[in-house]
Amino acid sequence: MITKQLVDQIEGEASIYFDIKDEMVDFATISFPHFRGMESILKGKNALDALVITPRVCGICGHAHLMASVRAIENAYKNAGHKINLNQKIESIREFTLLMEMVQNHLKWIYLTIIPELQKLHPTDRNSKPLKGAFGASLAAKAIATFAGQWPHSSYMIPGGITCDPTNIDVLKAQSYLDELISFFEKESLGISIDDFLAFESCKDFEKMNSDISYLESELIKNDMTHKGHSYDRFIVLGEHSFTKVSKLNQTKAMGADVKYVSESEAYSPNEKTYAINALYKNNFYEAGPLSRCMALSMPIVKNMHRRYKDSAYSRVMARVFELAYLLKKSQSLLKKIDISQSSFVSPENIKNITAEGVGVVEAPRGPLIHKIRINEGIIQEYKIITPTQFNIGSSTQSNPTPAQKAMSGVSIQNALFIFRTFDVCSVCTTH
Amino acid sequence: MGDRIEGVKKLFTSKSARVETNMGDAHYDKLFESCQARIQELKTQTPRENRLDIDDLLQDQGIDRRSFMKWASAVTGMLMLPASFTPLVADAALLMNRAPVIWIELSDCAGNTEAMLRSDGPKIDEILLDIISLEFNETIMAAAGHQAEAQLEDAMHTFKDKYLLFVEGAVPMGMNGQYGTIGAHGETFYNHLMRISKHAAAVVAVGSCATFGGVPAASPNPTGAVGVMDVLKGKPLINIPACPANPANMVGVIIHYILTGQVPELDSLLRPKFAFGYRIHDNCERRAHFDAGEFVEEWGDTGAKNNFCLYKVGCKGPMTFNNCSIVRYNEGVNWPVGVGRGCIGCSEPDFWDKYAYERPMADANIKAPTGGVEKTVDEFGLGLLTAASIGIGIHAVASVIAGKTENKEY
Repeated sequence: MITKQLVDQIEGEASIYFDIKDEMVDFATISFPHFRGMESILKGKNALDALVITPRVCGICGHAHLMASVRAIENAYKNAGHKINLNQKIESIREFTLLMEMVQNHLKWIYLTIIPELQKLHPTDRNSKPLKGAFGASLAAKAIATFAGQWPHSSYMIPGGITCDPTNIDVLKAQSYLDELISFFEKESLGISIDDFLAFESCKDFEKMNSDISYLESELIKNDMTHKGHSYDRFIVLGEHSFTKVSKLNQTKAMGADVKYVSESEAYSPNEKTYAINALYKNNFYEAGPLSRCMALSMPIVKNMHRRYKDSAYSRVMARVFELAYLLKKSQSLLKKIDISQSSFVSPENIKNITAEGVGVVEAPRGPLIHKIRINEGIIQEYKIITPTQFNIGSSTQSNPTPAQKAMSGVSIQNALFIFRTFDVCSVCTTH
Repeated sequence: MGDRIEGVKKLFTSKSARVETNMGDAHYDKLFESCQARIQELKTQTPRENRLDIDDLLQDQGIDRRSFMKWASAVTGMLMLPASFTPLVADAALLMNRAPVIWIELSDCAGNTEAMLRSDGPKIDEILLDIISLEFNETIMAAAGHQAEAQLEDAMHTFKDKYLLFVEGAVPMGMNGQYGTIGAHGETFYNHLMRISKHAAAVVAVGSCATFGGVPAASPNPTGAVGVMDVLKGKPLINIPACPANPANMVGVIIHYILTGQVPELDSLLRPKFAFGYRIHDNCERRAHFDAGEFVEEWGDTGAKNNFCLYKVGCKGPMTFNNCSIVRYNEGVNWPVGVGRGCIGCSEPDFWDKYAYERPMADANIKAPTGGVEKTVDEFGLGLLTAASIGIGIHAVASVIAGKTENKEY
């Protein structure tokens, strides 16, 4: 019997069709019934227009889209023989705002999605306090706005650099938002310091805590999420950054990876039209996102979790919490690296003289985000966007399911719906 | 030249372009009484169950009465009301849990919801999320799936003809609406909007997609996307464009509704004048550099380092109406011009195709009603006059409709 479930409270909406056998999910297909046609809108426009259009693909990870666009265009410059060399100031500021976007995303996901959804599975008296997530996110957004002007939908990155030329006071301002955010996260979410938290070596260390995060951890265990939601145990990280490592992993075995092996396949969704397309690496499905990035970094606590519980829903959720803590520390060190005397912009060749192809890859909150551009004398001939949710969710056949489809099989519908959300679904990105 | 001067005069005196900041004592006295009566009536109503009490919440958050009144007086100013209205605005905020708001998303990116989640003012997050009765919002509400659908039905029924409907996202009309469907029965966005707006007191289109079609409607408009105003007839409609719309303006519209029961005064594009009666350029922090003829010629140059005017690198501030230069974004932290990015005109219709950032204004192919504005600022003095006239011109193109929307009471 097929049961349809609507899933909202994600960016946009999705439907899941569950095929139930013996009260358990035997197979599920997913449909994303919205489409805007971003790629065809970009065609024929000035390449630099992509910088203001692609961030509008998504309300929650627009900054990642901006960075993917700027990287794609800079890559096209390089391929046209006009390599742009970015200095450390430009790289650090870009990376800092990207990380802040990830931080706000993870915080909102924990407080507005995961904790409330867990409480639906297993009601407790505890107030889920969704506003904590919103408050923390607002601090991160302010830190972004200091350099990028606004969030969401900022467009301050341009080929050759950034438009802002921050003073010491701007950097201090960003630092104070970040410090406030860190103490908020330590006091309100962790109950211990980030350093202590990141020094965890085993899941037993959670016993020392009494906070929102330890509550989250224990609820995951109570709902047996340590033994549910397993996928392929294959991970992919493709964006080059200072905070992670490009790699593909089969279980814990890490190897190099290259975006050229990414391909797409039609989604399988027999019950409803879907606008999603699946993304594969070397024709296989790989899981993308925080768990993959933490595994690529060999973060001790995450590896410990993985050793015990593999790529279960528990590991997926907790990896994101650890990544959040890790990124907050990383952001601090990025800010310290900013030397304001360096230039904000390296003037590149006029875009009108550029005829080339380019690829930009960024790690977005949910995993690799790929933009491909083909430019003829500054005009976009073709633009292609591949988003992380296409790797994780998409929709495929029963014999070759996507990571999310695989993770949802063999559990009850309620559990499957929760597991679906552990991938942090973004519908608007998926179909763009 | 004579024609042009006449044209400019006309634009400056056109009714829709004018922001009336002083309507006279008689007007305000009358308004004050009606607002007071309305607030009294609202106070007698009980909020829906589970609605938090704002007084308690403010105390919980450690916000004292004084900060709250400071916020209320700022909002009073924003709504262009005399200071004597401050206590009424404060009361209206305290009564927010009586104002039912339904929020639906169509063809969008959820960016406005995201913007609202970190909106400004002292803890307006709370005001919006907890205090305002946000009856139904797909991204942030607690219920999900079928349960959420039931909740929507319930909200529509309970608050029939009383709720404010906020719409985020464009309406895709191509392929019989199949580019966007929603809910258990695959209802098209168009039908969804029609059904839910039928018994709304007023509809608020939030963001550029819902107002004018936004990015999805950019050439070649693959999904046939249009704004709410293109398909919704016979309903009071307020447009709050920009990408994302400024949360301060969303709050302003809601408070205005609670306070007066009316739609705020609108311009010819149905935008509230309290927010869109300003031209970015006129309140821009870099305006003095424009007047002094100091421009950024290229990113990263000396001009950029010294915060000169961004007009020559394509800033569309001179022809964009919005209060960003005053309210700014993310709790007033910054705005695009502040980081040298320049305005892309995101609160004006068709900005993707006509205003796109990379084309300096003179090359942007925007037809100005006064004619003869193809000069660049390098050419003598025209700059100032020209810039001003284009802005007003764009604004007043549809001034014929304006008469119909002015001062309308609902």
